[in-house]
Order: sequence, then structure tokens, then C-alpha cells
Amino acid sequence: MHKVLRILVPLAAAAAPLALAAGPATADSGSSYQATLNPLNHQSGSGMLMLTLNGNTAKVTESWSGLAGQFNGAPFPHVQHIHIGGQGVCPTASADKNGDGVVSTTEGAPAYGPIGTTLSVTGDTSPAAGTDIKIAPSGTSTHYSRTITLDPKVVQSLKNDTAVVVVHGDDPTTLSKKAQGEKSDLVPSLPLAATSPALCGALHAMPAGGVSTGTGSTAGMEDSGLLLLAGGLLVAGTGTALFTVRRRSVKA
Amino acid sequence: MPTPGWSPGRKVALVLALVAVAAAAVLGIVVVRAQVSAPEPTSAGRIDPLPSSSPSLPVGTGSAGADAGDAGPAAPAPLGPSRPTTISIPAIGVSTTVNPIGLAADGSLAVPQPGPHLNEAAWFTNSPSPGQPGPAIIEGHVDTDTGPSVFFRLGDIHPGDRVIVHRADGHVLTFHVDAVRDFLKATFPTRLVYGGRDLSEPSLRLITCSDFDASIHHHIGNEVVFAHLVHTADAS
Repeated sequence: MHKVLRILVPLAAAAAPLALAAGPATADSGSSYQATLNPLNHQSGSGMLMLTLNGNTAKVTESWSGLAGQFNGAPFPHVQHIHIGGQGVCPTASADKNGDGVVSTTEGAPAYGPIGTTLSVTGDTSPAAGTDIKIAPSGTSTHYSRTITLDPKVVQSLKNDTAVVVVHGDDPTTLSKKAQGEKSDLVPSLPLAATSPALCGALHAMPAGGVSTGTGSTAGMEDSGLLLLAGGLLVAGTGTALFTVRRRSVKA
Repeated sequence: MPTPGWSPGRKVALVLALVAVAAAAVLGIVVVRAQVSAPEPTSAGRIDPLPSSSPSLPVGTGSAGADAGDAGPAAPAPLGPSRPTTISIPAIGVSTTVNPIGLAADGSLAVPQPGPHLNEAAWFTNSPSPGQPGPAIIEGHVDTDTGPSVFFRLGDIHPGDRVIVHRADGHVLTFHVDAVRDFLKATFPTRLVYGGRDLSEPSLRLITCSDFDASIHHHIGNEVVFAHLVHTADAS
């Protein structure tokens, strides 16, 4: 084997794992997910949720606004959850099977699946707290920040791209007359509007690493050759001039 | 005394003049080419840093409802979803169509591919629509194999410049540039760019490439422009 190759081949072999490890690394520890919360069922709000996962620990920050603010003279409770095990998408209007103009929580279930985590303000975050309006955010807007432990099934759902955030509680006046007279499919003592989805957003991993928006064709590094050429011409010109001056002074 | 005809001295002078002209011409080319290099951004403006992450906090320490509300008194109300159709940045002469784009197979943000939309801007469909709460992400190439692209002059943007976005629902949004930052791709601050400290504020991030490394023929950095919504209007 060639002497240089004998040195280079082991070096290259040693460097290969380093090159692989230098993939789309980020400055942030943990993996990050985002969901844009879009309105359902004729509601007018919007929001965004960001989730950072370290093992089973999730830091959730969320903000939404524009939802119904009052319910029976009190701040409107908006129960909210991470749903798992469905198709990982938000339902469309076609999920409204009974034709009342509202996609109920049950009608939306094939799209987003059952509750995996309850995004409560305090206390229990399990599915059991799913309809506990006492620990739900309430009013027209919320700025939510909470660090919670996720069930392994929810962690898996996040990684499978099938986790969906749903915020419930519709403004009854925006619903059809038929829907306004219906009972909740979840808590029969409440009207349908109180528990039906208002905002929904599929959780997706944030883009990994930086963005490849260039080829370098305009980076200007190609000019080093031209600069050398110009420099060479100047040296040649100066040399010729000096030579000429010397010949003239010898003549004189 | 000058002698008539082509004396050796005049020949030398002629050669000298030609050499000088040639050198000047080459330097001229270099200067012109330097001007088609993308302007590198200088860090400018202020960004609210993310609160220091504390994943060790015990369960149950969350808070909701209370908010400092530092979005400013004149902040327009957030809008619902509607995809952006055009973006213009008068300060750097950009006016272009915006197309939807998603994630690439490797989990990174996909970029406009060769074809009719290569030199147009792209909106990341997992990010909010411009006008919704949170940062809408709009990217564009700084250059392609054929030369400068749509965000070639993004490095010339300054805090205070305006960005105008038209949406499919007819809304016309005006964003105010807060800051310009250059990040190495290897240490890209994902949560700051795609999230940020205040998810309630409708905001905008413009992303392109920066920091060309000639040794590997790749841009190793990303330039990010941070802007927030200051005005909404109906196109009608």
C-alpha cells in the first residue's frame, strides 16, 4: 500500500463517525414541537402551542385568544388536551355526522383520537381530568406555561407525528338553532357548545437545524483568481517601468 | 528630445499603458463582482430571549391567565388562518409570490426547488399564518446556481423597516422589523426562531442563507429577520 494511503485511510475511517454525528444539530437541548391552533365550529380564535420534550418531561407554552369569554355569567372554561392515537389531524366539517353544523368531540375523535394528556392549569394532567372545568383555563384568552410529565404513550405519539392539541368550548350564539338545543356528548348536564372543539392543531416537530437557502453562487470567492491576475499585471507593469527608467538613465 | 517614429521609449510607454488598462479592467471586474455578493447582515435590534428552561420544575407549578402584556397598546388583534400570497420589502426592493412549503424528509425545513417557484418566497405551513398568534416563517434563497435569488439583499434590512404581506382572505398586513440576526446552522436556535418568548403576538421571521464557507462550498449560517405585526387592513 502507498505510504500516504497507509496514513490517510485510518484517519478517514476515524473521522467518518464524526461526520455522521454532525447532522442537523440544534443549539437547544431536547426536541421541540409546535402546533398552530386553528378555529373549528365557526369560532374565531387562534393560538399557538410550543412543547419541549426532555425524556418524559414536557415544558408546554401556549397562547390563544378570541374564544367565548362568558358562560352562565362566569368565565367560560376551555378544557384542553393533547389527543393521541388517531390520524394525527384536525377534523374537517365533513366529520359532522348528524348534520347539526357542529363537529362534536365524539365526531372529531377519528381524526385526533382519545385524550392522552389534559392541559390543565393545575393538578391532574391525566385523561381523567379531561372534563374537569375547575382546573381548565377560562375566558377569551390564555397564556399557558407549565412543565408536566407525559405518559409514555403521549411521548410515542409526539414522535409518531400523531399528537393533536384540542381546545374545547364554543360560543353558543355562533351555532345553529339545532345545535344550541343539544346536550353535550361528553357531559350530558352541559350544552353541546360547552364541550365541542373550538381550536385544534396537530403537533409537529419543529424543523431540525438550519435552512439550506443558498448555493453560494454569489459568494464572490471566485474572484481570488482575478485578483491574482490584476496583481500580476501590476507587478509586470511596474517592473517594465523601472527597467525603462534604468535604461534611460544609463543612456543619458 | 522626442524622436519621430516608434522609438524604443515609446514602445515601452505603450506597453505600460496597455498593462495599466488591463490591470484596471480586471480590478473593475472584481469590484463589480463584489457588489453581487450578498450583503452579510450585521447583528441589529433587540430580541426577547427565551426564559431559561427549567425542566426540573415539579409538576403543578404552572401558571395561566396572568400576563405582563408587553405587546404594546396599539398591537392589532390577531387574525384567523389564511395563507400568505405575496410579500414585499420596499427597503430592499423585494416583491414576490409566497408559496406553501413543508418539512423535508430529513426533518429540516424544505426549500424552494428548481422550477417556476425557485426564486420565490415560501411560507412554512406548520407555522402560523401571518397575522395569527406566533411567528409565521417565510424563507427564500439568497442565491441559486444561476445567481442571486429572492432574499439576496436580506442582509440589508434594518430594524424599523417594513414588511408587507398579503393573505388569501384579502387582509394586508404590515410588520415592523425588530432585529436581524446571523446564526450558525450548527447551533441554530430552533425554539427562538420557530417559537419565541411571546406566542401571543402575531410575528414574522424571514430566513435565508449566510456565511458562505468556500472550503466546503456551503453556506454555514442562516440570517433571520425578526418582525412583529403593527397594522392590518382589508384589501377591499
